[in-house]
Amino acid sequence: MNTPLRTRLAISAGKLAAAASRLAGRGEGMIIGGTVALKISPHALEDLAQGRVAALVSATNGKTSTTRLLATAMSQGGPIASPTTGANMTEGAVWALATGAPGAQAVLEVDEAYLPRIVKETRPKVVLLANLSRDQLDRMSEVAMLARKWRKMIAENPEVLIIANADDPIVVFAAEKAKKIVWVGAGQAWTADSSVCPECGTLLSRDEKTWSCSGCGRTRPTPSWNFEWKATKGKTSATAVSPSGEKFDLSHLSLPGRFNASNATMALAACSELGYNLPKAVELMSTVSAVSGRYAIVQSGALKVRLLLAKNPAGWSELLDIMPPAPTPVIVMINSNHADGRDPSWLWDVPFERLAGRTVIASGNRRRDLAVRLLHAGVDCVVVEDPFAPDAELPESVRKLDVIDCAATYTAFQKIRVGALEGEVDA
Amino acid sequence: MSKTVKIASIYPTLLGTYGDGGNVAALRHIAALHGISVSVDEVSPGQKVPANADIYVLGGGEDTAQSAAAAALHSSGALAEGVKNGAAVLSICAGYQILGHTFLDAEGKPSAGLGLLDVTTDRLEKRAVGELIAHPLSTSPAEITAVLTGYENHGGFTHLGNGVEPFASVTSGIGNGDGKTEGAINGRVIGTYLHGPCLVRNPQVAEQLLSWAIGRKLEHIVEAEVEALRQERLNFVTKNR
Repeated sequence: MNTPLRTRLAISAGKLAAAASRLAGRGEGMIIGGTVALKISPHALEDLAQGRVAALVSATNGKTSTTRLLATAMSQGGPIASPTTGANMTEGAVWALATGAPGAQAVLEVDEAYLPRIVKETRPKVVLLANLSRDQLDRMSEVAMLARKWRKMIAENPEVLIIANADDPIVVFAAEKAKKIVWVGAGQAWTADSSVCPECGTLLSRDEKTWSCSGCGRTRPTPSWNFEWKATKGKTSATAVSPSGEKFDLSHLSLPGRFNASNATMALAACSELGYNLPKAVELMSTVSAVSGRYAIVQSGALKVRLLLAKNPAGWSELLDIMPPAPTPVIVMINSNHADGRDPSWLWDVPFERLAGRTVIASGNRRRDLAVRLLHAGVDCVVVEDPFAPDAELPESVRKLDVIDCAATYTAFQKIRVGALEGEVDA
Repeated sequence: MSKTVKIASIYPTLLGTYGDGGNVAALRHIAALHGISVSVDEVSPGQKVPANADIYVLGGGEDTAQSAAAAALHSSGALAEGVKNGAAVLSICAGYQILGHTFLDAEGKPSAGLGLLDVTTDRLEKRAVGELIAHPLSTSPAEITAVLTGYENHGGFTHLGNGVEPFASVTSGIGNGDGKTEGAINGRVIGTYLHGPCLVRNPQVAEQLLSWAIGRKLEHIVEAEVEALRQERLNFVTKNR
């Protein structure tokens, strides 16, 4: 690879800044490293990419997990450059490329709003688009606006192969004009943000398998890849079905839930297009047990918790399925710092009624919003500022558990993750 | 035993982006505290809007969804009929704009609203996003005496005509757009930019709507959890001013 001198210097400067940041205890230095590099060499991303970027992964939910699943599956062909912390804007992409094995193929997770720019600068072989739903509306675009930006991006980059979820009408609207496209029937559990056609505003008709718009005739594209999920009596099974009808059993994934099996199906479709061995890909994906702290079991103060990232209604509606049944208590931490979104009114869109029969430990700087939401949902709740403090007033049932689920918004999640003993946290 | 209060939640699939479904949950909850029985009709587009509801609730929504909701309400006519029959209306953000004479669609073109409030909406120079605090006015409904707290997130600048009064007076945030007035009211029709959701953070507004519906005054019931939330939000704004 022939990286221009300016970018090589920029990366060296970035590495110094990152090291300084780590020494000062300010985190892993990825963002600062990338920021410094981009300041010195604004084209650093383009210079570093140069045909190395195999795949970009974007979605409202599941970017980090899908990126990890795909990168792990692709590692069968050698080392893969991929971010390890979910740094998903331009700086993070620069840093993943700058610090990955030299010349290695890259798989990058990309923030929804940054995707057009990063596609243009990195010229990826494939782009995976899984879902779009409401998230941090105080600073992010509304969902339909984002879809229009993606649509324009796809028209401007016809050489890129798009792998997209046929079950999300907003994603379909964004991706349907792609010259090269593989549709995946990856499922959609949360439909509240795609109730109307993003183009003509007509209410979409839905049944279990398909959706359509009576206003402009848009319908669910027939997927090449399909995904089957069955949950009966606590037992779940997941299968990905290839275009030729070959079945891949995804029931042995270590990551929990329908959505992770769906993410793995998207990743498998990408592996197929990129020419990897698919049974080997499934085997490797099954080894992924925690992704940047998600689903990791960590010690936090006096409690051992399974960490769950839950930051919007779509994500929540899936997470509620993987929590142990009532009356097992859970901890829920809601923050409204910048990275969480300042407005937690989305709590009112989450079907918290499904937590009835257990005690919820409400924490985070918006614990009072959560307490009122749970009051209305008829769910028993104890408000605790710091549930991990040794003298925290917790119900007996919490202390009795070996591991308690802790679902948290981004900054609350990161605080626990960083605070936990390093050896027990994945990556 | 008083009558069952009929609540119509108008197109929550279109107008519910900012957690505004919580307003209906709050009406249910607060009605139960007062021993008032309610029935909730969640009206989807394509379904008939009832003309005989006691309380209509409209939430916020994205541009495309807002236009779809306005078109459907126009052809129905039931909301106007309900208002003529004395029903109360709580409309938030995009829902508020729909009740006016005109609002701007996704392309920035003026679209016809329902004309139930004498207001018109065009664009703010900069989107209004953040905590919103407003004080009730002497013209505000009798039950609403406590400071109003919520969260605003809108690009619309709503201009009030002579046929409405401001709903409240802004102390922090943008509100209608001039930084002074927040929302509009005419009779029992309320429009506001308060998300939060509005009725969760301001139970007095819910009590006012219920009071209109049953035709008698309600004693304000204070819930500790709600009061703690209100105080925390008000302190947050004071601290970060």
